[in-house]
Amino acid sequence: MEFFFTQISGFWGALVHLASDPVTYPYLIGSVFLGIVFGALPGLTATLAVTILTGFFGNKFPLEQSLIALIGAYVGAIYGGSYPSILLNIPGTAASAATAMDGHPLAKQGRGGEALGMTTTASFIGTLIGTMFLLVFVWLLLMISKNIASPEKALLALFGILLSGTLMSKDVVIKGWISGLIGLAMAMVGLDPILSETRYVFGWSYLMSGFQVVPVLMGAFAVPQIMDGMRAAGSIGQKVDVGKIVPRVATVMKRFPTIARSGVIGTGIGALPGVGEDVAGWVSYGVGKTVCKDGKDFGKGSINGLLSAEAANNAAIGGALIPLLVLGIPGSPPAAALLGALKINNVIPGPTIDPQLILHVVAILVMASCTMAIMGLLTARVFINVLRIPQTIFLPVVMVLTTIGSFSVGGGINDLYLMLGVGFVAYAMNAMHYPIAPLVIGVILGPLFDETFRRSLLISDGDLSTFWTRPGAAILLCLNVALILSQLPIFKRAFGRLTGRGS
Amino acid sequence: MEDKTALRARDFWTSLILIAVSAFFLWRTTDIPLFGTVTAGVSAAWYNSAALVPYGVFGMMLICSLGLLAISIKDGGAERALHGAGVGWERSEVIRMGCIAVILFFYIFALVPRVDFILASALLISTLIYGFHDGHTGRMKLAATVFAAAGLYALVMHFPSSEWAKPHDDDWVTLALWAGFTIFTLVRHSDEQAVRIAPVMAILVPLILVLAMAFGFRQNVPNRSGLIFKQIEYHYYVTLKPLWAK
Repeated sequence: MEFFFTQISGFWGALVHLASDPVTYPYLIGSVFLGIVFGALPGLTATLAVTILTGFFGNKFPLEQSLIALIGAYVGAIYGGSYPSILLNIPGTAASAATAMDGHPLAKQGRGGEALGMTTTASFIGTLIGTMFLLVFVWLLLMISKNIASPEKALLALFGILLSGTLMSKDVVIKGWISGLIGLAMAMVGLDPILSETRYVFGWSYLMSGFQVVPVLMGAFAVPQIMDGMRAAGSIGQKVDVGKIVPRVATVMKRFPTIARSGVIGTGIGALPGVGEDVAGWVSYGVGKTVCKDGKDFGKGSINGLLSAEAANNAAIGGALIPLLVLGIPGSPPAAALLGALKINNVIPGPTIDPQLILHVVAILVMASCTMAIMGLLTARVFINVLRIPQTIFLPVVMVLTTIGSFSVGGGINDLYLMLGVGFVAYAMNAMHYPIAPLVIGVILGPLFDETFRRSLLISDGDLSTFWTRPGAAILLCLNVALILSQLPIFKRAFGRLTGRGS
Repeated sequence: MEDKTALRARDFWTSLILIAVSAFFLWRTTDIPLFGTVTAGVSAAWYNSAALVPYGVFGMMLICSLGLLAISIKDGGAERALHGAGVGWERSEVIRMGCIAVILFFYIFALVPRVDFILASALLISTLIYGFHDGHTGRMKLAATVFAAAGLYALVMHFPSSEWAKPHDDDWVTLALWAGFTIFTLVRHSDEQAVRIAPVMAILVPLILVLAMAFGFRQNVPNRSGLIFKQIEYHYYVTLKPLWAK
């Protein structure tokens, strides 16, 4: 209990420091606003919002202000996706796809304002739940992570890539793994981290330092979005009227159990490496459908269905930051972009991370969620009007933003070549149903895997048993093996027969 | 719902490409010493070689690609891919993608390094909005042709990087093409709101961005010696800055 109060006291200090600094507010209000606009515009995603801002804020501002801008945009964009989901039945982001299931039927019943108000409240409470878990669990995990050595790190990095590949695949799981392997292969380019041996540079000196994270992020997330989104958009949309938005306190209290349950589920799913807010939303929606009394009404305009999805996807933000800060393994694609920003600021997440930075992140999350709630409840009509802009108007602007952002990070014109090359490959992969998140996570975790895997063998004189004689490594190895085996048809059939569900 | 067999036909070709890529990189990895190397005074055994992880990664990629090939053959993708039914891409979609790819290619590889960023981006915004807003393939082709003309001129006339920063006929060509294209679209489609908005956005967005990056964030911007940016920079330092410096 004393530990808990120490954390609360540290967090309170960081929050007061942040709240009393007037510089905080322009960054916070601007970034949350921009995030909500990005989320609200179908075709722009939370990952894209954080990625583009990484190009602008990554290494040009003090770290604290960069983090305010990036986390503010992250929180705003995950929430902003609910606007088109509810009003147009078009999920603004993948994270808000489950929101559309009940949000749009509610809007069609003339309850759009109520749906938006409840969504805003659920997102706010969900973010706070995720933040609370982040505050408590990050320290517990940090204590454990002090015992993590190279074998565990290597297996954890591999697990992150494999898990992301497995859970993000919309088609056969092998495509997710191939995507992760492509990312790992890209991370092999340049000087190797132990012996400085050159690998796959093909005489291009730019590649000696390997693939830079920001152009890869921009290429993987922005370029395919632009290429896919430039389709006939029709005329500029009509104005939408939704009525009263601010919900009644009694209604919120009545729905609090659903919001709390979804918040906890969202945090747990978000904490899984590489698994994003969209999975959190769907899992929570599925659980809600099973446990709620009105589960049979899910999909027909149920407020509980709406809250199950929306509280979870925002709570996943706090969850996604837990493995990011403790282990340097992003819990979601936007968190991968955040990791890119930390890296170009020379901040290495992991056991040696500055504890003050974690408290700052938590304080920023709380302030960002408050800003999001105030904006969502009081200025929702501004964001509703944003929905009228067709994507063929704003996507060309995004391309210009992406170009200048990627150029200014440091690598100049070569970064742009890399960005477009990765973008074309990512578009082709998208078209063939390969998930992109595992590729990016592979690029980010590849150097960590390469270095720690070889260092483990170096320390043990080439003895492979180092990966199963240490308890932590043995558990992680089992998880990796189990994850792979669970996806193989022969094991799936055997498991089905064992549980009596097989044919 | 997308045709599963068409997807598997694409998987068939992709898996063959992936197998070739994996095999190529496995072969390239043989250039990296695996046994008993000495690099920068450090001796390395096999377990510390820089080739170890790449062998594993490309080996696994080869196995996964073979797995994907097996899945595509089992689900009928190979049969469809080899018997002329195609991979399920529509002609209009291929044209749309081709036009966007051409515009993005010339923007990044030809115009941004050589032409003033404001002009290059203005042409990009105008062509993309006009070409793709209403989904007509004729407009897409026209937009791509205009953009490719500007890009090809810059690429052919000023290919080496030593010529990127020189005074610029390619800037003038891009400006002329943008002006001509804008006048054409405004005359022919003045009733379309998107077409009327496009020139305003084409000028304001890159101008504001470049000014913010160069003079606000103090960051490098592409092609500082470009036609318009050079004038802005000159007047910022020579005309404007002395006013408040005094």
